[in-house]
Amino acid sequence: MSDADESKLAAVGSAWSLLRRFWGFARPHQRWIWLGIAMIPMVAGMTALRPLLLKHAVDVEIPDGDAIGLRVLGIGFLVAVMAEFLCSAVQVYALQRGGHATINDLRRQVFAHVLRLPARFYDNNAIGSLLSRTTSDVEALSETLAFGVFTILTDVVMIGTIVVAMFVLDPVLTLVTLTVAPVLYIIVRYFGASLRRLQLEIRKSQAAQTGFLAEQLTGVTVVQLYGREQAALGEYARLGQRNLDATKKANVLDALLFALMDGISAFTIALMIYFAAPSVTGGGAITVGLLFAFVDYLQRVFGPIKEFSGKLATIQRASASLERIYGLLDEPTEPRAPAEAADPLAKWRGGLSVRDLHFRYKSDGPDVLRGISFDIAPGEVIAVVGRTGSGKSSLGRVLTRFYDGYRGHVTLDVGERTVELSEVPPERLRAHVLMVQQDVFLFNDDVAFNVSLGEDAIAADPSRIRGALSLVQADAAIAERGGLGFEIGERGTNLSAGEGQLLAFARVAAREPTLLILDEATASVDSLTEQKVQRAIEQLLRGRSVLVIAHRLSTVRRADRILVLAGGQVVESGHHDALMAKNGLYAELVRAGLDDEAGASGDGAQPAAP
Amino acid sequence: MNAPLRFLGRYARRNLWPYTLGAIALLVTNYAVVRIPALMGDALNVLERAGADALSQSRGLAIELIVLALGVIGVRTASRALFFNPGREIEFRLGVDLFERLLGLQRPFFNRHKVGELVSVATNDTTAVRLLVGFAGLQVCNVVVAIPMHLWQMLRTDVWLTLWCLLPVVFGAAYMRWTVKRFFSMVRESMQLLAKLSDRVLEAYAGVGTIRAHAAEPATLRRFDERNDAYLALQLRMSAIRAFGMPVLAFSGLVGTGVVLWVGGNGVLAGQLGVGDLATFTALLVSLVGTLTALAWVLAAIGRGLIATDRVADLLHTPDELPPASHTLALTAPPRIELRDLSFTYEGASEPSLQHVDVDLAPGATLGIFGKTGSGKTTLVNLLTRIYTPPAGTIFVDGIDACTITLPSLREAMAVVPQTPFLFSTRLRDNITLRDANPRARRRGKDGAPPEPEPDDPRLDAVLRASCLVDDIANLPSGLDTVVGERGVMLSGGQRQRAALARALYRERPVLVLDDVLSAVDQGTEARLVAAIRALRAGHDRGLAPTTVIVSHRTSVLEHADEILVLDGGRVVERGTHESLLRQGGLYADTHAHQEGEP
Repeated sequence: MSDADESKLAAVGSAWSLLRRFWGFARPHQRWIWLGIAMIPMVAGMTALRPLLLKHAVDVEIPDGDAIGLRVLGIGFLVAVMAEFLCSAVQVYALQRGGHATINDLRRQVFAHVLRLPARFYDNNAIGSLLSRTTSDVEALSETLAFGVFTILTDVVMIGTIVVAMFVLDPVLTLVTLTVAPVLYIIVRYFGASLRRLQLEIRKSQAAQTGFLAEQLTGVTVVQLYGREQAALGEYARLGQRNLDATKKANVLDALLFALMDGISAFTIALMIYFAAPSVTGGGAITVGLLFAFVDYLQRVFGPIKEFSGKLATIQRASASLERIYGLLDEPTEPRAPAEAADPLAKWRGGLSVRDLHFRYKSDGPDVLRGISFDIAPGEVIAVVGRTGSGKSSLGRVLTRFYDGYRGHVTLDVGERTVELSEVPPERLRAHVLMVQQDVFLFNDDVAFNVSLGEDAIAADPSRIRGALSLVQADAAIAERGGLGFEIGERGTNLSAGEGQLLAFARVAAREPTLLILDEATASVDSLTEQKVQRAIEQLLRGRSVLVIAHRLSTVRRADRILVLAGGQVVESGHHDALMAKNGLYAELVRAGLDDEAGASGDGAQPAAP
Repeated sequence: MNAPLRFLGRYARRNLWPYTLGAIALLVTNYAVVRIPALMGDALNVLERAGADALSQSRGLAIELIVLALGVIGVRTASRALFFNPGREIEFRLGVDLFERLLGLQRPFFNRHKVGELVSVATNDTTAVRLLVGFAGLQVCNVVVAIPMHLWQMLRTDVWLTLWCLLPVVFGAAYMRWTVKRFFSMVRESMQLLAKLSDRVLEAYAGVGTIRAHAAEPATLRRFDERNDAYLALQLRMSAIRAFGMPVLAFSGLVGTGVVLWVGGNGVLAGQLGVGDLATFTALLVSLVGTLTALAWVLAAIGRGLIATDRVADLLHTPDELPPASHTLALTAPPRIELRDLSFTYEGASEPSLQHVDVDLAPGATLGIFGKTGSGKTTLVNLLTRIYTPPAGTIFVDGIDACTITLPSLREAMAVVPQTPFLFSTRLRDNITLRDANPRARRRGKDGAPPEPEPDDPRLDAVLRASCLVDDIANLPSGLDTVVGERGVMLSGGQRQRAALARALYRERPVLVLDDVLSAVDQGTEARLVAAIRALRAGHDRGLAPTTVIVSHRTSVLEHADEILVLDGGRVVERGTHESLLRQGGLYADTHAHQEGEP
């Protein structure tokens, strides 16, 4: 979490622009919001009206001994109370409803946006921080809403109405009570600022403490094996003490604020009585009923002021969250084709030519592909071998447009024309070019979903899923587990590593891509599963163009051609036997055991360490 | 109910003074709080009657009111601070005590409990306990003191009016209590829904490569929508409660005010009441409703706090399941390590993971352990390092039963690299030397002054060379001072393994245990590492090299061991030196042939 961002508090000007942009998300739900806003004057009006009724009773009905009038007034009072309750409930509900619906949309938008961010973005951003921006930051907005921050508007209108009402009733007495306003202002400002600072420190230190605890418990075995218990405990206590100090200070300030508001409220009433007394006793303009009304007004005013500072703090937290969310939404996504555009690869049969391909991950980094040229004919199987860091995985990432910005040419033969790779929208490309990565990613759902991945055409047709499973010979194992509805658990924990592999292959079989880019996994599986995996790969290589980043000798042997990469260049190419006879790098790799560089090349989303 | 309170009593005892003072301050505060409306009413009464000395009398009352108002600021602040701060201290002490207890518990415990669950006890539950002892404590005192005082003041003014205007408030309070209960169950549900939503988001982000490769964004979004919309639906139900349910109590207070106007107004007409009394009642009602609202929330906090206290107390009292220790190990030289007919079955497992293993490892010798995944290699290491407690009389260090040795002294003698390397989110340097787990404290030390230059550490340099980390470090943004781990730069699997290896080598202990630490390094590096580890052993300047246990599934790592055990299904199926095992032509020899090249 980037707590540091939070310390730079949003200026008022930027707060407006944050809000304006937020309105863009709120517009579809604006009916609720307008309804809520429309209730504000009603609520404020009722609040101002009630004490007037009291005043009337005290000044007119009671001295006149008018029991009927008093009863009518009492009923009027209850009606006003009821109206105020209903208006304020509708107001709160409408604003919350509009707000939550907006936040829900915003969360969805952030999620959809992050899904479409390019791989380079994922390289530079920890998934944890993306998660926290999608959930925690959005949740902070939600909390702000729940805390009734929108009522701050009501509060302001209400206080304004009350002050106006007081002025109309008696300007002099109002001015007398307003003498405490500067004191209030200073208190709210001073306490507000200090409390906000402390709240920030509290949340920061708490996050640090919790993070530390989670990490130490995750690595508790190391802590214990290396006798670090006391050091860890000391650090935990230190972090806790930091939190404790801030919390205690905040507590005292909070208590003082609370008490000051109460005290000042009583003080103001006393002040008013003191100054009004001569006028009341001397038959001046001030009546007892007026004092009665003023007492009521003043009590209404102090409640909201007490909460002002807290509300401001949550608003500030929300705007910091909003800023981070917008920052994420402003990251450019991968391009997408317009929905109605024709598929540029409809007639593509898998023919591809690569000419003088250069590629680097970072603009200031070294080239990882340095002038690669080769062709794939429709239906041809090309194997790519090379040491870790030779550029073989990068090749797959460029050909699927996971990473853009190659130099040179990659052209696809579509009928009589050719299409440059960079001109095909990524999602159109990936409908035809399927890359299977080393680490199989499985979703916490059933087998059917993990094969179809929710693609309607496949999901709607279980026979297609079964066919795919049987092609990769996973049907028996899956049937044994309980069929397509078998829940495979979080990250596939209910399956063996080999079965996971086979599921990933079934995804390919169900989709029948024109070009398959297969990054062979080297996870250690037992020999029986290994045989199954090999046979499944064999099936997948048939009837389509394939670029396989090979780790298995059995796979390499089946390839029509082998490209040997070293340092981002093709250093050898040809068939297995020819390359073995040549006794060059390829022969060396084969002798070292192709499958022996397992694990070192890391996970699919990250570029391999150079 | 009694047990958690006794437990808390032990913690709260240290804060007896603040609580006592807080209680006194509270008493005074509440007196002032009910006195203020009464004075207000009196003043209005005086003014209404407009007697001869009305002016001086009312002004006198106003001044009394001012004094009281200023006084209430002090006592109210004191009462809240004195009650809340000890709660914070108790929360802090509970957290530290919990962590201390957890650090003393061993792997079997951590297998049964997820880290998230433990963190939640140490944070959320201690917070609930704090609310119980601070907030709830204050409110209970409030209820015992404030409500009776309010009632007393009201009854003193007028009994009938009190009963009348309390009628709606009693209903309001009962409704509030029910609403808060319902609300809390929704809060719990919403936390679960949010966690489920987060799971979906995390899953999608972690699997974004697969999603993208298969163009599965629409389905992923649909899966997200399911949970996002369920969460919204609950939020809206909560909003309805907030809007229509929560304000009912305050509403009932206003209805009470209406009753005051009606019934009380008639009382004034009948001459039984003064107008000021009406103001007293109105103000007291407002303050009473506030107290009742807080009470409704607090009753819920008490329930949750007691449950949380139970959980915290349970965790604090978890037995460490360690056998009683009678020996302290103080090794001056590498020890002899013996395994005698060691068999072990994990808790809840039906099959033993190790059966009848016998080893006699001479001081300074190297034992290699070879086997496939699941053959029992790691179990053996876990028992030797007492991550799991071995059966009594099976493992001996210099002739002492390992079960009887105090755990800290046993581990003090060892440098162990577990199978999965773990790096802390500190500087790489601190991860290896483990000298200072808190780089920030050191760096901040002198008012933002630049960090002190690290002293030369020849041992560290040697270890980094041996672990082949020198080149990797050169490529890190801040070299050895780069923060690594979860919250720092992510190292590759091989780099993590080598950093963990460096940590063990730096420790220089009489026993070295390496559990498959070279699995993610490529072959060339592996050969260099094996050579370096051997060289370190040979160059050990304090007498003998450490007694070493190396686990691997690769024969090339074990070549130089004095004895190699080949495990399969928990049994020793072959044993001997590298050469003798190759001659035997069994599992080891087969694997060796396969790993060395074409079969």
